[in-house]
Amino acid sequence: MSCKPRDNKMKRRGAPKTLLRGDGRLLAGIVLVGAMVAATAADGISERAKRLHFSSLVIDTHDDTTQRFLDGDFDLGARNALGSIDIPRMKEGGLGAIFFSIWVPSRIIGREAVRRGLAQVEAVREQVRKYSTEIALATTADEIRSVHQQRKIAALIGIEGGHLIGNDLSVLRSYASLGARYMTLTHTGNVEWADSSTAKAEHNGLSTFGRDVVREMNRLGMIVDVSHVSDKTFADVLEVSKAPVFASHSSCRAICDAPRNMTDEMIRAMAAKGGVIQINYHVSFLSQEFRNAEKAHPEWDKAIALEVKKRCGEREGCQLIEGDRITREYVLRGDLPRVEWTKIIEHIDHAVKVAGIDHVGLGSDFDGANMPFGMEDATKLPQITNALLEKGYSEGDVKKILGENTLRVMAEVERVSRELKALK
Amino acid sequence: MRWVRVSLFACLLAAGFLLSQVATGDDIADRAKRLHFSSIVLDTHDDTTQRFFSKSFDIGKRNPDGHIDIPRMREGGMNAIFFSIWIDGRIMGPPAVEKALDQIDAVHENVIKYSKDMVFCRTAEEVRRAHAQGKIAALIGVEGGHMIGNDIRVLRMFGDLGVRYMTLSHFYNDEWADSSTDKPAHNGLTDFGKDIVREMNRQGIMVDISHVSDKTFYDALEVSKAPLIASHSSCRALCNHVRDMSDDMIKALAAKGGVIQINYEKSFIDQAYKDAEDKLSGGVVEMMDQLKKECGDNDECLNKKMTEMTEKATAEGKLPHVSWERIIDHIDHAVKLVGADHVGLGSDFDGANMPEGMDDCTHLPQITEALMRKGYSDDDIRKILGGNLLRVMEANERVSRELQAAR
Repeated sequence: MSCKPRDNKMKRRGAPKTLLRGDGRLLAGIVLVGAMVAATAADGISERAKRLHFSSLVIDTHDDTTQRFLDGDFDLGARNALGSIDIPRMKEGGLGAIFFSIWVPSRIIGREAVRRGLAQVEAVREQVRKYSTEIALATTADEIRSVHQQRKIAALIGIEGGHLIGNDLSVLRSYASLGARYMTLTHTGNVEWADSSTAKAEHNGLSTFGRDVVREMNRLGMIVDVSHVSDKTFADVLEVSKAPVFASHSSCRAICDAPRNMTDEMIRAMAAKGGVIQINYHVSFLSQEFRNAEKAHPEWDKAIALEVKKRCGEREGCQLIEGDRITREYVLRGDLPRVEWTKIIEHIDHAVKVAGIDHVGLGSDFDGANMPFGMEDATKLPQITNALLEKGYSEGDVKKILGENTLRVMAEVERVSRELKALK
Repeated sequence: MRWVRVSLFACLLAAGFLLSQVATGDDIADRAKRLHFSSIVLDTHDDTTQRFFSKSFDIGKRNPDGHIDIPRMREGGMNAIFFSIWIDGRIMGPPAVEKALDQIDAVHENVIKYSKDMVFCRTAEEVRRAHAQGKIAALIGVEGGHMIGNDIRVLRMFGDLGVRYMTLSHFYNDEWADSSTDKPAHNGLTDFGKDIVREMNRQGIMVDISHVSDKTFYDALEVSKAPLIASHSSCRALCNHVRDMSDDMIKALAAKGGVIQINYEKSFIDQAYKDAEDKLSGGVVEMMDQLKKECGDNDECLNKKMTEMTEKATAEGKLPHVSWERIIDHIDHAVKLVGADHVGLGSDFDGANMPEGMDDCTHLPQITEALMRKGYSDDDIRKILGGNLLRVMEANERVSRELQAAR
């Protein structure tokens, strides 16, 4: 959930009329552009890339589709016109494993955050039960592999934000028991024990309790996710954690200077401890140009948030989808720059150069962010494989980025967990 | 207490000689021991969970008080246990859910802590595997529908956390089911209560009808597609307590494949004791209420006080002595009524007043021996010790698979 407009949605008033006019035309335009991109993309993918992609285990560590489950009008089993993720499109795009993100806004804390967090975990598990012929819950690297061998999609659970545990380690353990396999320590706001990258520092990184949370996650075999946290929190986590950590959905600050992205130094430090940066596809994390344009017109951000609110009310899933759609309208109008999906490849390549091939993966932020052109949904994923092969990456290296690196981190986190549990 | 056990054992031996024409007492004792310690001995109701929150309790060590810990389970050959998740029935909504989650977490944590001895199990197959590995199978039952906070998603979450049965109510009515010890408010199960039962079927969580009113029992029996259990109830024909089951109820439960797991609580198994206790304290709910005033939320204190109070009253002659053999009477009554396929053990250890001679789980082999002396076959005894409950679990698992596939 990195989509900025959504985060600001509550503060706006008054709808910009221009946005409401000519909606139909804009939509037709989007469909047309989408169709063209799809056609060229399909043509442009080599047989070798297809073979490699569809024989690999492709893992995405961050998808906000969970919010759509709660809206009530979304069916994961059907091909949807909107959004980026559903079973038919995951299959078409060869996405073999997906982390469903459990998220509530940072301002919701305590018991209410716990209640909603647990309900979302249940919603994911319920979808898995509903489509058990096509998806299966996985909680270990081995389970992902075995689900993949059964030609099913592996569903995993990640908790996005430490506020969801309500300052209670027993709730953290309940999430783990229910199958959650990573927790992002913060979202856009600080939690009571860790600073976020997008809020004023309060705790100078991780508090003492925050360190206990990290240790308990090590023991439970949950991956510590450093996306969203402040640089100091990141450094503290790296010091405390006995297992490798990852950034479930962050890109490279060297290319796009967003606090949500990681500096080369951070990427290197994380890699030195065996971790992985999972590249986020959100346009304002990929493109400095896009970011600059956004910054130059804060009023657009506000207008987008307002329009989102108008279309969706409090339905979070709808908000995330519409935020992406409306932002695209600005792009099509020429207000915001058009960002191509190939930017994702630049970030992957940069991170590989900085930290090596073993430390980069994919964390799309599908259904929670603004996707670049040509990466509208999961069906476009084979392009990544194609582009990396074209860049001269070996098939083994591409497999690592597509999922093997993430599996290695998971297996290592599981090993540390077993060791720590045995010590008791 | 040692001499009591020794003399009791001597009595049993003597009785064995008289009863059995073929085998000698020693033969039976040896055979019973072999049978007991090679069987899956499964207890469906233990309130030990409450003790996990006490600093003085360690399930890995032999404790001087209470009824359950790993060394004593080993000694008594008890190798499968349902840890009960329970909070006062008057706590509702999010606080009830939260406390229940704390307790579920505590069970998981204790199993992890003693993973050399215990393994967490969710299916009958897993219980069998645990037994084959020489480990104690730990399972979870939620005692009271109030802990789902009227939210069916919480029920599903409990299922996902490994809960394998839920007692529909405790001492007080839920908002959707009447309890046997409260004034009827819903005429049994409400429509939502029926949905809960259906969802439990779908999740493979056994429906437990201990504690519920007779009408709730019959409603649940009608709605449920899977066999039900009474996780800790005895026979009303022998002791007329609302917490026990009438012969008609036991027959109806059995006809649907279910099982009554006999409770060892003195006031549920002995009429004279129940009558005296009613006179003394006005009944079990009233007594618990009085103790709650003294102990607050401290369940450790509650259990201790309860034991002290009854011991004192018994010493003063206000409450009669109750022998552990009453448990055998109840088992035998239920078996005569519905056959050996529908009876099991639901001690209520660490949550009730144990009869004399059943001071803790180390005494369980006595049950096997007593049944053998009554002429029960080895197969029937194995069923009562745990086989029946595993059969019901498997049936629930099958129904769950079918219902989930039907969607």
